[in-house]
Amino acid sequence: MKPNKAGRLVLEVFMVLLSVVFVYPLLLTIFNSFKSFQEVMTDVIALPSKLSFTNYSYVWDFIDYPRLFLNNAIITVLGLAGIVLVSSIAAYKLGRTKTRASSFIYMLLIMPMLIPFQSIMLTVLQLAKDLHLSESTWGLGILYWGFGAPLAVFIYHGFVKGIPLEIDESAKIDGASGFRLFFTVIFPLLKSVTTTIIIIDVMWIWNDFLLPLLMVNGSPSTKTLTLAAYTFVGQYTSDWQYAMTAMVMAVLPSIIVFILLQKYIVKGVVAGAVKG
Amino acid sequence: MRRLGRKWGDKFEFGFFTLPVLLCVAVAFYIPFVMTIRYSLTKWNGISKHPTFVGLDNFKQIFLHDANFAASAWFTLKYAVLYIILVNVLAILLALVLDMKLKSTAWLRAAFFTPYILSLVIVGFIWKFIFMQGFESLGASTGWSVFGLSWLGEPGLAFVSVLGVSIWQSVGFYMVIYIAGLQSVPEDLKEAAVMDGAGPFRRFFSITLPLLAPSITISVFMALTNSIKVFDVILSLTGGGPGGTTYSVAYDIYRDTFQNNLYGYGTAKALILFVAVLLITIVQLTIFKRREVEA
Repeated sequence: MKPNKAGRLVLEVFMVLLSVVFVYPLLLTIFNSFKSFQEVMTDVIALPSKLSFTNYSYVWDFIDYPRLFLNNAIITVLGLAGIVLVSSIAAYKLGRTKTRASSFIYMLLIMPMLIPFQSIMLTVLQLAKDLHLSESTWGLGILYWGFGAPLAVFIYHGFVKGIPLEIDESAKIDGASGFRLFFTVIFPLLKSVTTTIIIIDVMWIWNDFLLPLLMVNGSPSTKTLTLAAYTFVGQYTSDWQYAMTAMVMAVLPSIIVFILLQKYIVKGVVAGAVKG
Repeated sequence: MRRLGRKWGDKFEFGFFTLPVLLCVAVAFYIPFVMTIRYSLTKWNGISKHPTFVGLDNFKQIFLHDANFAASAWFTLKYAVLYIILVNVLAILLALVLDMKLKSTAWLRAAFFTPYILSLVIVGFIWKFIFMQGFESLGASTGWSVFGLSWLGEPGLAFVSVLGVSIWQSVGFYMVIYIAGLQSVPEDLKEAAVMDGAGPFRRFFSITLPLLAPSITISVFMALTNSIKVFDVILSLTGGGPGGTTYSVAYDIYRDTFQNNLYGYGTAKALILFVAVLLITIVQLTIFKRREVEA
């Protein structure tokens, strides 16, 4: 029994209304980022009287937005490149080696998925200081290699098992071996899982808060976007118009990327969850 | 001789491929983990040069005399149970509607998923603004008394706020997992049920829901691991208030370690959190394994 046409229409209208209510907090945030202090205080839900970017230029300069953006980009790209590289080569080798040592190492690599970050945050920070990785965007990026590896190894390992061994063998006959075999023959075959891992990890590293808070919050030159927004909002608790602007600027890159790549992101997130 | 050489070559290559990741994981997890165990047996404020060994005193103190820890554990438990149930029920309902192929499906999916791509700290701030400033204006223009309540100032309501905001942020994620699950339910099975005269509720409970079991397993698992570690959203939304009623275990650990500088004591709590997560995961995996075998 399919719901009749009228029923569907009612449901459709109801869902659209619901979705607008659902995203309304985000719309309010954007609206208020364009208002003056007076306007925010008199009526939050009114639309801004004019489209003025004064808040934006103020916050842009105050938090040094380009610098923050660059920091986020360095951390995310460096972290991601390392995770993909060290995890894929290891998962491939472990998937192709059927020894007890191999399965032991595999377990050792995926078990940390059970360790909550808060359980080790203090000692991670201590160790990072000893290794001179703290208070540096590069150091933070490198630290993500280890934090991202367990899930990535797990996903890659499951996929490598599905690649027929004949492919390795014929490549070996053609004279390729070691790294060359991996990067010219196997890695291209891993493209779909690599995409999944990139999507999950970009969303995680770009938005991450606690690890950057402990690692790079000491100096304005190493802060990330989220950290800067956090500090800024803490300082400007009564100047909501600036706080709103800082938040919009912090999340805008994610929203733009999401709008452009929506299909891939949703697919990647689902694939990551189902495999992970 | 050549065989021996090749064997060593293989071993060398194996090490070459796996050592980098082992090193990274050791730095991120295993070395800090061992250090955590060591610190948990000490008293240390991070300033004095060497931690003082105190044996199991920290654990005794935590379990017997720490009201903050008990309160935050109770908060986290309540939060986790309600979060897991509500977020999954709402996500399944949304997924069912979006699976009906309405005209606006693409928009609806994007709208419900959007909060998930935002940083949780920012989400907390956005809602703080809505609760503190937005509700005042909304109350004035609608006259509804819900907007007049003190959503962050009254303990019970602050709990509801934290829960609601967490669900708002992540329901879209669980929704897309369920949509993917629904799409794998064969269409002819549903049609056959219609032919047999099964109503929509009957069809949902005897066909759709059992076939969604794998998606439910994944979602419950993820909801559990995420809710037990809840931290960011509370930090920016309530800051643990009012009156310290919304501290989660993770936030309590953060407070003791970084705000009260109780390094040894904080790591002992952190270790307890780890053991709790480990036990819950083992129990959950055993239950789901058993169910999957039966199915």
